[in-house]
Amino acid sequence: MSHYEEVKVHGYDEFCKAVSERKGNDIFAYFSGDIDTQGLSWCPDCVKAEPIVRGEMSHLPEGSVFFYCQVGERPYWKDPNNEFKKTLKLSGVPTLIRYGTPQKLVEEECFKADLVRMMFTED
Amino acid sequence: MAALCRVRHRWKRTNCIQLLTRNLTGTFDYDLVVIGGGSGGLACSKEAAQLGQKVAVLDYVEPSVKGTKWGIGGTCVNVGCIPKKLMHQAALLGTALKDAQKYEQWKPAVQNHVRSLNWGHRVQLQDKEVKYLNVKGSLLDEHTVKGSTRTGKEIMLTAKNIVIATGGRPKYPTHIPGAVEHGITSDDIFWLKESPGKTLVVGASYVALECAGFLTGIGLETTVMVRSIPLRGFDQQMAGLVTDYMEAYGTKFSWRSVPKSVDKLSSGVLQVTWTDEQTGKDQRDTFDSVLWAVGRAPETKTLGLEKVGVKLNKESGKILVAADESTSVPNIYAFGDIGEGRPELTPTAIKAGKLLARRLAGQTNELMNYDNVATTVFTPLEYGCVGLSEEEAESRHGKDSIEVYHAFYKPLEFTVAERDASQCYIKVVCKRGGDQRILGLHFTGPNAGEVTQGFAMGFQCGATLTHLKETVGIHPTCAEELTKVNVSKRSGLDATVTGC
Repeated sequence: MSHYEEVKVHGYDEFCKAVSERKGNDIFAYFSGDIDTQGLSWCPDCVKAEPIVRGEMSHLPEGSVFFYCQVGERPYWKDPNNEFKKTLKLSGVPTLIRYGTPQKLVEEECFKADLVRMMFTED
Repeated sequence: MAALCRVRHRWKRTNCIQLLTRNLTGTFDYDLVVIGGGSGGLACSKEAAQLGQKVAVLDYVEPSVKGTKWGIGGTCVNVGCIPKKLMHQAALLGTALKDAQKYEQWKPAVQNHVRSLNWGHRVQLQDKEVKYLNVKGSLLDEHTVKGSTRTGKEIMLTAKNIVIATGGRPKYPTHIPGAVEHGITSDDIFWLKESPGKTLVVGASYVALECAGFLTGIGLETTVMVRSIPLRGFDQQMAGLVTDYMEAYGTKFSWRSVPKSVDKLSSGVLQVTWTDEQTGKDQRDTFDSVLWAVGRAPETKTLGLEKVGVKLNKESGKILVAADESTSVPNIYAFGDIGEGRPELTPTAIKAGKLLARRLAGQTNELMNYDNVATTVFTPLEYGCVGLSEEEAESRHGKDSIEVYHAFYKPLEFTVAERDASQCYIKVVCKRGGDQRILGLHFTGPNAGEVTQGFAMGFQCGATLTHLKETVGIHPTCAEELTKVNVSKRSGLDATVTGC
């Protein structure tokens, strides 16, 4: 029984709905390109970052929520007006954020285990 | 409980001895320990790490009297330059749109930006492998630093070199009854839970005027209480133009006034009593907030400096430093606001920190050049300058040996908004005769910082009035008026710029 809750969501609307249901929790969100049936993403950086991020999840604070959010297929992501880019101000995938704070790690920053651990353990 | 304490003390002493033994063998935990994670400390530690040094930076914010505290980045990022400029922008926009943006609306945007800067620094430090410790650092000996956590836990670090960059904090006028209990400072103004409301700003430094300026701009009734002169140390004619503009734009000024006491009334408002030095009579008024901007004191008291032999200037409390930022103790350095005689500015701290890191890593012998530093006061009418004030130039060279060129101009953007431009002014103080070397350059007007930066480079290169006149202006701008300046004060002619 882990000390955090992992929630898998797909797409912007699902993400927003799930987040609103958990207001008051310490929320972390990992945004990745969609995964295919083999479990691989069209986004090579996301494929590289995921095991590193997962490797640090034991450091998540007690009672926190970790969202694994698939943003969509490549053409949807490439559109500069997609909701993630416009409203959540995401600039790339993978992105790891601490929701409601300016704390975020973008792209290559997600490859660094110590940075991921720093975000999960920061006060 | 007492037994536990005894055991703990014994352990600490043993630990100390072990550390001292390690020192004697020449191995330290770190090549460099920096005490202070502000503009200077961060620049120094990151640069040193990049050059291969093993570095730790200690940053700790003692909460203000009101309990305000903040993350890494120092004064500039958290309670200085950054939130100041954002609030100044908010105020300018508010005035321009004739629709005062409330404190509550701007606060989250400003705070969010500051927090993103705190995070950015944390990521950078981690990335550059600088060990960051949120502990209050103090010196035990010339190679040992003690760090105390918020909860009282202590850690020890040994270092080949130690750098002190702890900066300063706002002063409270402790001799005024009620000042500490009821007043706030610039440490608090950007992080209040509610709008400060009707505010009295005591002081006439750039901190006082900038704060009063943006508070007025966001629609709050603001009064500035000045004991003698505004912007001490700056050109006084320019300082007068700055305050004239503020007065014309709604900030009240209480000149030649000295606060006597601050009392909290049952309604919750603050009643301030002050002496009007001109009449000798006491006056009284009520305010929602009282902001003290009466100077800054260096953060040296809890560093353990006397014990280790680091000498301070008795009057200012700042650390005595040489041109290479060294102190009276060979491997201990100090720079930034903490250094005696240094400008209290972020860019000089950053540059000095980087050069110090390079010198300590043996990469250079270059010393920091503190001359010809340009600055800008971000009051509602901004004031940018580089070099000497007119008074300073007169004092150094003699009134007959200098020529002062000046011009009152009107920014084009003021025409559209129908703003009064009476205080938009340029002054170029030169050596008289020959090529007329520029000794000082002064500009009040919109975007003064942007205007002054470019001219500062010319100043650094030894620009003369001839150089200035040979420069073709960019049209239409305010900055071009500097290249067209030609009326001298000595001539007594009208200095108002007319037409295009």
